[in-house]
Amino acid sequence: MSLLIPCPQCGRRPSREFAFGGEDRPVDAPDLEADFGRVFLPANLEGPQRERWFHALGCRRWFTITRDTVTNRIS
Amino acid sequence: MTERPASGATGQIRFEGREVSLHEGDTIASALFRAGVRTFSRSLKLHRRRGIYCGTGECPNCLVTVDDVPGSRSCITPALDGMTVRREGGWPSTERDALHVADRLHGLMPVGFLYKTFIHPRSAWPLAERVIRRATGLGPLPGGPADRRVARHLRTDVLVVGAGIAGLSAALEAAAGGRRVVLCEERAIGDGIAPGSTLERIRRLEARARTEPSIEILERHAALGLYEGPVVPLASDRALVQVHPGRLVLATGARERHAVFPGSDLPGVWLGRAAAAMSGLHGVPIGERVVVVATTAEGIEHIRTLARADGSIVAVVSPSMAGELDGDVETIVDARVLEARGRSRVREVVVRSGENSRTIACDALVLSLGTVPRDELARMAIDERVDVVGDAAGDRRCDANDADGIVCLCEDVSTRDLGRAWDEGFRSAEILKRYTTATMGPCQGAMCGLALECFARSMGAAGAAGSHRTTARPPLRPVALETLAASVHEIVDKRTGLHDAHLAAGARLDRSGGWLRPFGYGDRLEEYRAVRERVGLMDVGTLGKFLIAGRDATRLVDRVFATRVDDLRPGRSRYVIALDEGGYVVDDGLLCALGDGAFYLTSTTGGAERMDARLREWTDRFGLHVHLLDRTSELGAVLVAGPLARELLERVTSDRIDGGAIPYPGHGEVIVDSVPCRAVRSGFVGELAFELHHPRSRGPALWESLMRAGASFDIRPHGLDALETLRLEKGHVYLGQDSLPDDTPAKLGLGHAVAMGKPWFVGKSALERLSALPATRRLAGLAFDRAPNDVAELRGAPLMTDGDVVGRVTSAERSPVLDRAIGLGWIREDAASRAPDLRAGPAVARVVPTPFYDPEGSRVRA
Repeated sequence: MSLLIPCPQCGRRPSREFAFGGEDRPVDAPDLEADFGRVFLPANLEGPQRERWFHALGCRRWFTITRDTVTNRIS
Repeated sequence: MTERPASGATGQIRFEGREVSLHEGDTIASALFRAGVRTFSRSLKLHRRRGIYCGTGECPNCLVTVDDVPGSRSCITPALDGMTVRREGGWPSTERDALHVADRLHGLMPVGFLYKTFIHPRSAWPLAERVIRRATGLGPLPGGPADRRVARHLRTDVLVVGAGIAGLSAALEAAAGGRRVVLCEERAIGDGIAPGSTLERIRRLEARARTEPSIEILERHAALGLYEGPVVPLASDRALVQVHPGRLVLATGARERHAVFPGSDLPGVWLGRAAAAMSGLHGVPIGERVVVVATTAEGIEHIRTLARADGSIVAVVSPSMAGELDGDVETIVDARVLEARGRSRVREVVVRSGENSRTIACDALVLSLGTVPRDELARMAIDERVDVVGDAAGDRRCDANDADGIVCLCEDVSTRDLGRAWDEGFRSAEILKRYTTATMGPCQGAMCGLALECFARSMGAAGAAGSHRTTARPPLRPVALETLAASVHEIVDKRTGLHDAHLAAGARLDRSGGWLRPFGYGDRLEEYRAVRERVGLMDVGTLGKFLIAGRDATRLVDRVFATRVDDLRPGRSRYVIALDEGGYVVDDGLLCALGDGAFYLTSTTGGAERMDARLREWTDRFGLHVHLLDRTSELGAVLVAGPLARELLERVTSDRIDGGAIPYPGHGEVIVDSVPCRAVRSGFVGELAFELHHPRSRGPALWESLMRAGASFDIRPHGLDALETLRLEKGHVYLGQDSLPDDTPAKLGLGHAVAMGKPWFVGKSALERLSALPATRRLAGLAFDRAPNDVAELRGAPLMTDGDVVGRVTSAERSPVLDRAIGLGWIREDAASRAPDLRAGPAVARVVPTPFYDPEGSRVRA
């Protein structure tokens, strides 16, 4: 698919250069119970979602983008 | 039986033991149909008979094995003299299929059947799996290596996909504007279209395009997808062509609407274009009495085509088309088909007009119900600008339809199955797809995609942005793996700085973890003995090597590793393990504290990139101030191991390397024969050992110096084979070889490397919950009796007791020092205590504590 991921360092690059890192969820959970929810209870949104990407075959930077899980559009 | 070649025959194909003669322009399907074949395949799950349906390479019905290539689309594959063709599916044959009983048991195999059945008892699964595999699936894969395919790249101003009227017109227009054009078409231009006004227009445009020098025409090249760039890969029989166009025009046309009603998948039910091509192009009548349902002008054209060759025709037409036909054709206006009936093929159809139903006997039913744009490529263009022209830019509409019938021909998913899945809570197109597997077969939703979309819409599915369509993904067409592999030119193997030294020493090199590494130098036992008795060298420059500095370095490693690290003093090292968020062990390494809060970290060879990604991920997540330097390829490392290791090093360094200066586990900087090194004490092989990490460029000098100084100790280099024995005697775990993806530290005997007292580390919240569960299995040391001479037979062997499988051997080696075969393996917790003796292939295994060798570790600490 023709999906370009905007890397903050390298600009828009082909998605196959990147690794998907899952939903962006806050890691500063107050306790382990809440942290468990972060790991195992994803929101699984249908629509725009904040998510993590890793430019694995590029500059190796992690970053967060908002992608629509239905249309793949990145805002 | 053998038929004589008919007059006008252009050759023969061999079909299931008989010869079938060919006529000019035959596809495999038209040749078989002329020879009387009506059942072309058996459906995947219910083993229903399937005949030619779409005729355009879209549906799964006519997939056959051609010259050992399964899944070939017979309706668009030109028949060539000498081809061997056989059908797929069904047992013992496609024609007489005992598994057809599945159709009558449909009620017992509801949607999601495989997810819910065969779960218990577990022991029945291997048998059930064999039966299911026999009962389902397409033809077997050809054996042996495939021919090599050609890969090439093509740059052009304009790529036009599809050479119908719209595509040819677009190509001519672009060429007239001075552009270089590539025009690709899945078939040959005009193929499969019955004679008529459409074909005449195509031929006229084709003639112009063929004489236009700036248009390159690629026939029998199917577009597989659309990627960033844009890049459009095209697959032909022999090649993969990656086209890089400046502009992309999609003229992919439209496909005929798939109909769903009881019996709509019977052989003898045709889509209009397939019927028109068979009768009008190949000259084979499709029936004696044919019912044609036509709602469009194209449908009326098909009726005229069929009327020329076929028997009597009953036309069922929409009111707006009523005046189009002359008196020869019996016409029913404004009716719809309720059902098609018949056992092995259609025998009658039920049509309803107003309040009246009527049954018409027939041997063919042709459906020409309009088209659906073939727009998958266009939908893959998320960021790319594409121009969609012709029928591909048409509308999609849903018809009201509550009839039951087969929606998905590939996977035998019925309307009722969709309804059941809906009732079970699968309430959007995407998850209906995943649960029922509708749209997931060879046709990739070409037929059923619209029906699934319309079902979801009619049920009021929750679709974000009003979308009830599943995502379009490449490949659009079935493609051979060897075609995809054609673009792989070479495999890049990394080499360490000592590569030439290994070659000079006669090493046997092979791939391991992305590197070319020595597995041995000719005498494995002697390499092993050198380490246990004297001193040996090994190139460990492939280890992941990281410098972690900055004011938050300690905070980072504290969170990334489950092991306690905040008390690690400068000059000391510690074995650390990393978990994933599920609490499972994914990587390990050796962490060296450098002073000033900085660390030097080594990781496994194969895990180096993962480790780098992990360190970066958590640095970013927590917003830590860390400087991370991946020094993996910049530094080399040599393992100097054996009881004489220190004596050897003392000959080539004037720095202190005694246990006080560099204790175990610890590290220090030393100059070895003018090469600056970080000497890291290592316990992996179970002897006194130093890893000398050094600038890669100095590796050969260091290696040479050590070999020369060690000559009087009979020093030897050793490879990965000897290392395997050395580490196994110490009971060390190779993550990935001895571990499973869901291994907690406790299951691997690595509980000591976890500090649950830390407030947080990756995987801690999961591990807390997991540790509340009873232990089910663990990795144990194994001692074998009656081991075969080749212990490789033991690797992967199931561990049995009283006929039950209670574990599996993950590693096995013959231990020279213990003079017996030893190993590691999984064992069920209940069996570990209950069964003193386990059967492992031909051998008997006992669970024993590890390490097997030097359990106190005094040799490592020397």
